[in-house]
Amino acid sequence: MIEVRNLTKTYMTHERGHTLREVAKNLIRRPMKEIRAVNDLSFTVEQGEMLAFLGPNGAGKSTTLKMLTGVLHPTSGEVRALGLIPWKQRREYVGRIGAVFGQKSQLLWDIPPADAFYMNKAIYGVPDRDYRATLDELVTLLDVGDVIRKPTRQLSLGERMKCEFIMAMLHRPELVFLDEPTIGLDMIAKENIRGFIRSMNRQGVTFILTTHDLGDVEMLAERVMVINHGEIVVDDSLGGLRSRLGDKKSVRLTTESAVPDIRQQGLSIIERIGPLEIEIEIDISLLPLKRFIREFNEAYGIIDMAIESLPIEAIMKELYSEGAKSEIAASR
Amino acid sequence: MRGIVYCLAAVMRTKLAEQMAYRSHFALSVLLLIIGDLVVPFVTLLVYQSGASFPGWSLHEALLVQAVFTLAKGVAFPFFFGMVGTTLSQVREGTFDLLLLRPRPVMLMAMLTGFDPDDFGRLVSGSVLFGYALSGLSGPSGQSWLQFTLLFVASIAILCAVSLFLSGMLFRWVGSSRVFDIFDAVTSFGMYPGTIFSKSLQNVLTYVLPIGLIAFVPASALLGRNGWETLWALAPAAVFLVLGALYWNRMLRGYTSAGG
Repeated sequence: MIEVRNLTKTYMTHERGHTLREVAKNLIRRPMKEIRAVNDLSFTVEQGEMLAFLGPNGAGKSTTLKMLTGVLHPTSGEVRALGLIPWKQRREYVGRIGAVFGQKSQLLWDIPPADAFYMNKAIYGVPDRDYRATLDELVTLLDVGDVIRKPTRQLSLGERMKCEFIMAMLHRPELVFLDEPTIGLDMIAKENIRGFIRSMNRQGVTFILTTHDLGDVEMLAERVMVINHGEIVVDDSLGGLRSRLGDKKSVRLTTESAVPDIRQQGLSIIERIGPLEIEIEIDISLLPLKRFIREFNEAYGIIDMAIESLPIEAIMKELYSEGAKSEIAASR
Repeated sequence: MRGIVYCLAAVMRTKLAEQMAYRSHFALSVLLLIIGDLVVPFVTLLVYQSGASFPGWSLHEALLVQAVFTLAKGVAFPFFFGMVGTTLSQVREGTFDLLLLRPRPVMLMAMLTGFDPDDFGRLVSGSVLFGYALSGLSGPSGQSWLQFTLLFVASIAILCAVSLFLSGMLFRWVGSSRVFDIFDAVTSFGMYPGTIFSKSLQNVLTYVLPIGLIAFVPASALLGRNGWETLWALAPAAVFLVLGALYWNRMLRGYTSAGG
C-alpha cells in the first residue's frame, strides 16, 4: 500500500541568539543552517496495517507524515502510496486518504459540525446517498447524534474529536493518518476513539498513527516504527519491541525498611514512589526473580509486591536515550 | 466544472452560516465597510464644493471612477482577497496543510476558505455611489455599456491577480501582515481619474502595474471617452492574471509547513 525508498528531507532555517546585539545583527545578516529532518528512510506498509510511528519531539515524524500525505515535497527519495506519488498526483491521492490532527481542527469553530460535514461532502464530491449512509453509520458508531447540530465551540474536546473523525472518514478513505488523535482526552473519550479506530481497521482501513500517548500504541498498533534524528531506529511488532530490550520486568515493592541506592547488576530504580515504596527494573536474564525476591526480602522485608512487564514508556525512554547517546558519540 | 460550482455553493453557504453565528459582528462589519468606502468620495465632494476639481473631470465623472473602483472591490474582495488573510494566518500556523489535503486545486481552496460575505457590503456602497454618479451624467450608449462590461471583467481580473501576488508573497515572507498596506498604497492610484497623473505614470498604471484598469479605464469607457481601441486594455489584464497565477503556484512550491 505504501512503499518508501530513501526518503530524505532537508530544509534551511536561520538561527540567532537572544541577546539584543544578536537580534540587531540578525536584521542585517541571517546565518542559515541546513536541517536534515528525514534521512534516507525506507519502509513499506501493507493494506489493513495499523502502524504506530513514534519518536521524540523533532525526530522527523511529522515531516515524514507530511511527505506521505503529499503536503511536502521530499528533497530526494521515492514514495508510492495507493499506487500514486503523493506530491505529484496530490488531488487524486488526497481524495483517497484521510487525516486527523489532534492539534489542527478541520471543523468550523462557530457553526455545527453538520455544516462542516456538508462542506466536506461537496469538496470531496461524495454522492448524496453515500454521504447519508456513511454519516448515519459514523454518527451511530461514535454516538454523536445530538452533538453534530450544536456549534463546535460548545462541544467538549472528546465530542469535537469524534466529529474530527467523522470529517476525516466521510469520503471513505482507504488510508488514514492520525497525528496525536487522543491528545488531551479523558480515559473514556480515549477508549471511544480507540474503539472507533479498531472498528474502522477491521473494515480494512489502513492507519498510520503518530502519537506520544503510548496507551494508544499499546491499544492500537500491531507494528511500531521508532524514528529518531530522521532515521528509523526500530521497525518491529509491539511484542518484538518489548523483547528487543531483554527480558526485563518492572517490580513495584513496599518494604519494611527503605531501599538505598542500588548498584547491583541487572537492577535499576525506575522511581521512588514513597519512603518505603519503590519501582525497580529487573533484567531477569542477569538476576532471576526467585533470587531477587529472596535477597530483597532478607535485606528490606517485602510487605507488598507487584510484578509487571516493563511498561512501553520505559522501552521508549531507553530507545530515545540510546538515540541521544549515539548522537553525542557521533558528534565527538 | 459542475463539481467546482457545487463545491463553491456549499462553501459559500457554510461561510455565510459562519458569519451569521455572530449577526451583530456581521452587520457592524458591513456598515463599517460601507462608511469606509464612502470616505474618499465624500472628500472628493468636499473638494469640488470648495471650487477645486480634477482637471477635465466633473464631480459626477470623478465619482463614477470611485464608484467603479468600489464596485470592483465589492465583487473581487469577497471571492479573491480573503485568500490573502487565509495565507497570512494559515501558513504561519501550519494549518495551510489542511488545504493541501483536499482533492481540489489548492488555489481554489485558498480562495474558498477566504470567502468573506462581509465584503459584499462594498457592493452596496459601490451601487449607491454608482447610481448617484450616473444621475448627474447623460445616459451612456449601448456601446459604452458593452465596453464597460468587458473592462469591468478585466478590472476584477486585475484585483484577482493582485490578491494572488500578495497571497503568494506570504509563502516566503511568512506572517507579513503589511501586505494589506502594500495593496492600499498601490491601488489608491486607481481611485482617481488617470489623466491627473503625468503621461509616464499613466502608462505605468495601465501597462506595467495595471491599476488604472481597475476603475479609470472602465469608467472612461462608460463615459464614452474612449473608442473600441480601449479594449486592448484587456490584454495586460489577462497577462497580469496569468502571471499572478504562475507566481502563486511557484511560491506554493516553497511552502514548508510548520513544526509538528
